[in-house]
Amino acid sequence: MKRTLLSAGAAVIGLLFFIPLLWVLTGSLRPGSETFARLSPLSWDSFITVHPTLENYSKLFTGDIGRATANSLLVSVSTVLAGLAICSSAAFALSALRFRGQTAVFAIVVLSFLIPFDAIAIPLSDMFRDWNLTNTFTGLVLPGIGNGMAIFLLRQFFLAIPTELVEAGRLDGLGWFGVFIRIYLPLSRPALIGAGLTLFLFQWHSYVWPLLMGTDRGHILGPVALANLQGQNFVDYGVVFAGAVLLTLIPLAVILGFQRYFIQSVSSSGLK
Amino acid sequence: MAPRAGRLIAGVFVVPVLLLAGCGGGSSSSNTAPAADQGPQTGTINVLGSDNAETYAPVIKAFESANAGIKVNYSQVPFDQFNSTLQQRLGAKDSTIDVYTVDQPRVSQLAAKGFLVDLTDLDAKTKAATSQASYDANHFRDKLWSLPMWNSTQFLFYNKSALKKAGVTPPTTDPEQRWTWEQVATAGKKAQQAGGTKYGLLLEQAEAYYQLQPLAESLGGGSGITGPDALTPAVTTDGWKKAMSWYGGTFASGLSPRGIGGFQTGPVFSNGNVAFFVGGPWDIGVFSSAKVDWGIAPMPYFEGGKPVTPTGSWSLGINPASKQQGMARKFIEFATLDTAGNLATTEATTIIPANTKSEAQYLPRLEKLAGSKSTGAAEIVSYEASKTAVGRPVSVGYIQFEEVMGKAFADIRNGTDAASRLETATSQLNEAWKSIK
Repeated sequence: MKRTLLSAGAAVIGLLFFIPLLWVLTGSLRPGSETFARLSPLSWDSFITVHPTLENYSKLFTGDIGRATANSLLVSVSTVLAGLAICSSAAFALSALRFRGQTAVFAIVVLSFLIPFDAIAIPLSDMFRDWNLTNTFTGLVLPGIGNGMAIFLLRQFFLAIPTELVEAGRLDGLGWFGVFIRIYLPLSRPALIGAGLTLFLFQWHSYVWPLLMGTDRGHILGPVALANLQGQNFVDYGVVFAGAVLLTLIPLAVILGFQRYFIQSVSSSGLK
Repeated sequence: MAPRAGRLIAGVFVVPVLLLAGCGGGSSSSNTAPAADQGPQTGTINVLGSDNAETYAPVIKAFESANAGIKVNYSQVPFDQFNSTLQQRLGAKDSTIDVYTVDQPRVSQLAAKGFLVDLTDLDAKTKAATSQASYDANHFRDKLWSLPMWNSTQFLFYNKSALKKAGVTPPTTDPEQRWTWEQVATAGKKAQQAGGTKYGLLLEQAEAYYQLQPLAESLGGGSGITGPDALTPAVTTDGWKKAMSWYGGTFASGLSPRGIGGFQTGPVFSNGNVAFFVGGPWDIGVFSSAKVDWGIAPMPYFEGGKPVTPTGSWSLGINPASKQQGMARKFIEFATLDTAGNLATTEATTIIPANTKSEAQYLPRLEKLAGSKSTGAAEIVSYEASKTAVGRPVSVGYIQFEEVMGKAFADIRNGTDAASRLETATSQLNEAWKSIK
């Protein structure tokens, strides 16, 4: 009985979290003028529409959001590729190698993810501007590739790799680079995917940095284009909601696609 | 071997000091003097604004075909972040911005900070091209800092069918027969009681100084800013207290809805949920496709007071860090002082051009925009511009003023006593302006 009540409670809480998302989805399938029309009093048709229309989505693609989504994907994927190469190398150096000042370097890494990026964005953007990196993809990608959190996660995972494997590899004639490429990376797939997702989401959500770096039409990113839909004198909330749905679907697909690797990661750490 | 906790902790505490020391030693190399020369004659200039790109597409097209060799690249920054992003980039002497849109009440602050190029040599031309209010709004300390692009006013929109159901004869478009706020409240209540609409009255920007200033001014309350340096708050005058008590009362009585903010209000009118709606010329375009039957009238005033309407909009200014000021100047002159150019800025968005000749060509278009519903709009616009328009105050402290007042309006709307909230706003303003006095 208690179990049933708990399950029912959990279901209700889950549903409460789902309701605002459902409202956004329904809002995206309704004409903008009806977005707020059915909110008071609340009824079933506040959250469900019987006459869905894709008009908002077609409007969306006549504006900047299509290009902005493609730009966001390009920036996020480039960040993941370059970022994983850099972060995993750094994590390898901080876990497998021994050198003077290692602790201080690790402390900097730990600190770097304790400082919110927005706090350093303004001075950093002044430097980027001096280097003529405004309105360039390089300027958008660069701050995302050295991610302290990703280095930290990978280092912790690398520390658990048995040193015997490294010694065996070294005896067989592998250099440090070989050890990294042939032993560490293949064993760390779940951690790499976790770190890759951290990098992906950092870029996908970033808003202040693209505002400071690239707002011209060629380099506009998804969140900025979404905010741009909120005009000065008039807001079509139907289109805004459609944009929000689109920008949510992509990370959702990425997370769902890689979900099983997380499960793998949890179960493999349980065996150790 | 795991790192020893002691060393790690030492690292965590030492490194920030090093980092801070490093930050202190660095200096921005972007502190260059403003470009004195006018730059190249051809090339691409960058324009920054908060409107969508479609708004500027017609004027850019017209400018480019009239000025061979000059291209214009427009970038949009979201409206809510526009001022902060602009301040940051101008403060860093960002030369990738040549021209930017200037919110008229911010001219003084931007000019005081050195973020605008002095355009006083265009003073006579500007005076000839625009209304006195627009001309004044772009001046600070007797110098011209930006050129007026648009203008604005407010209308009283009403839901025809709701008023008919309540047996109320709607207001006319004649400014001399303008309704009072008291009349609007009574008629709105009747419409609610008759079941025609859920609410009686709604102001489009329910918490914005732009729309609420005329209420206080109508009762002789003044703009809210006084003193020789325009840094003394005056929001506790009788006019302000009376106007805000009335305004708070409209929410307390259920005449106006709480909890609907900013520009979420338009759909409430277009869905037929409110009897009276106070909005701008842009709403004529927006409501033209609404299912509800509506009409327009001049903005109301208080009984015993005088009619006052808001005015002002956006201007164009030049960034002193721009290295292409010659081309930038050509563009802003075209988009504001040239009749066809200024008219082109209003082609895609419903907004009144600031250039008087462009306005004369534009108004008949506005009049026909929503068919018979918008009949009379042109007459109202002309009347308000010449007789009742009062601009927002020119003060270097306007940004703080707008912010403090916005919060006060929100609280009054949510039930705080108006008189005491205006007292609080006064002390907040005194505190905020201490540093700039």
